Amino acid sequence: MRRTLLTIVAILVVIAGAVALWFLSAPGPLSFAGGNKVALASYKDGKPTGVPAELQQASIEKRGEYLAQAADCMVCHTAPGGKEYTGGFAFKLPFGTLYSTNITPDKETGIGNYSDAEFLAAMHRGVRRDGARLYPAMPYNSYTYVTDEDALAIKAYLFSLPPVKAPARTNTLAFPFNQRWGMAFWSAFFNEDVRFQPVADKSADWNRGAYLAEALAHCGDCHTPRNLAFALDNRKKFAGTVSAGWYAYNITTDKGAGIGAWTDEALLSYLSTGHAPGHGTASGPMGEAVDHSFSKLAASDVRALVAYLRSVPAKPSSDLPSTLAGVAATSHRQGPDNGRGKQIFAGACASCHDWSGVSAITPTATLTGARAVNDPGGTNVVQVILTGMQRPNGLVSMPSFGSIYSDADVAALANYVTARFGSKGSTLTAKDVAKLRQQTAQ
Amino acid sequence: MATLKINGETKNFEATPDTPLLWVLRDVIGMTGTKFGCGIAQCGACTVHVDGKPVRSCLLPVSAVGDRSVTTIEGIGATPAGAAVQKAWLELEVIQCGYCQSGQIMSAAALLATTPNPDDSDINAAMAGNICRCGTYVRIRDAIKRAAGNAA
Repeated sequence: MRRTLLTIVAILVVIAGAVALWFLSAPGPLSFAGGNKVALASYKDGKPTGVPAELQQASIEKRGEYLAQAADCMVCHTAPGGKEYTGGFAFKLPFGTLYSTNITPDKETGIGNYSDAEFLAAMHRGVRRDGARLYPAMPYNSYTYVTDEDALAIKAYLFSLPPVKAPARTNTLAFPFNQRWGMAFWSAFFNEDVRFQPVADKSADWNRGAYLAEALAHCGDCHTPRNLAFALDNRKKFAGTVSAGWYAYNITTDKGAGIGAWTDEALLSYLSTGHAPGHGTASGPMGEAVDHSFSKLAASDVRALVAYLRSVPAKPSSDLPSTLAGVAATSHRQGPDNGRGKQIFAGACASCHDWSGVSAITPTATLTGARAVNDPGGTNVVQVILTGMQRPNGLVSMPSFGSIYSDADVAALANYVTARFGSKGSTLTAKDVAKLRQQTAQ
Repeated sequence: MATLKINGETKNFEATPDTPLLWVLRDVIGMTGTKFGCGIAQCGACTVHVDGKPVRSCLLPVSAVGDRSVTTIEGIGATPAGAAVQKAWLELEVIQCGYCQSGQIMSAAALLATTPNPDDSDINAAMAGNICRCGTYVRIRDAIKRAAGNAA
């Protein structure tokens, strides 16, 4: 009896050790690059951190504004329809809902009392002014790479905003996830707590792109799958995953599932305008990233991001077809017919998207070539139908259909759209749509 | 100063490039036969033809038209399909309040130009995006079939 018990304990210890080792040996976001990391001051080819040349002489608040946009702080720190930077945006997690907080300089409900050191502790280590641990929905595991100089410029910008009184909403996390101290262990495993170090033998563009992508834009927080502990699994860096109800697609250099087959022009256009001919239009969280972050970046910085993305090792996605469907038939008679889905498409969609998928109104409404319609999961097609799509520059304006069509209708429509315009149709049910609706509801 | 080819005539106008074609037609050039309904391409009242294809003019930026030719309700009677549709519309007295009807006629004429003998599924696919609050759908369907017969 005792022997069996000992054996069980021994097995458990070995398993725990293996798990710990697996986590501890997990690669960091830049491990793939290899090379010789050097201190910023020793990198010979310019300065990969900070702001682009044209802003070097600007005030600290201006520089901070640029960096805050590059880090996309505002989108998560603003509730839909709420005042900018006042928090209240809901993160729906499998174990409850987490709300972002007010980062205007209000002394009572914002960050007005934060000293420089306290601000850096939050950015780099996920530690709040009162010593409590932040949840990694605040991507401090990425912001940890931001230099002190840049982080404090962001602070100076935030402190230049009008203070707004906006108390934090109460999180609804279940036990044990409501125990903030637990995040200390998470951080010990998964937050490197080091500042960005350039790779000596890589170009200035690559290093700048790496700093932008990993420290500021935190691309991996949506595009890299997470492990069991909800930390980024950089063994599958940028290989794509569903997060917050949207599929953040594979952005590795894989030619089929990723962006390996995109031209530089297409990538530049997609990042800076949210659309590239033949690749569809960014929507959902990526649309927001374009609107509030990438579209505001200097052209040199977008080029640097593209140079960096080009170096990320290819990873396949078994759930995505490697060939995208071409232009669909111009007649409704050819192609699939699933009854209700086709009926809705004829009434609500064909006038813009055309039966062929090539819009006669605007290239941004062309479905041909878009990854979303070539995803047999249909996730993002459902979300776009539910929420519509708006670009602040007025170039895109799709109404939302979430409140006029039932879950069954939306499922039928998404199944029709993916079958007609993609290489493999989705098989969504009303239940799937209900789940997706729930994940993006605020 | 920009130009558009509308119903075979060249029209000069001034508008910012992102102005939707519908506003140029109605407010700048003064051709008010084309109607504003929803403004989000969901009702069909603003349908015009661009190079013969039905397009919702409320969302189409005028700069995207380029040198393609625009046909509106004022000019559709000059095409064989358009003339047949208008004749059938009068014979069956399709119109009730009439607000959506220029769009209905434009969509029907585009359908008959490519599909001379449409069946119900063709009519559904082509006309589903044109909404009629008076519910004249049954007469619209009949008139399209009659126009197909007349045109043949």
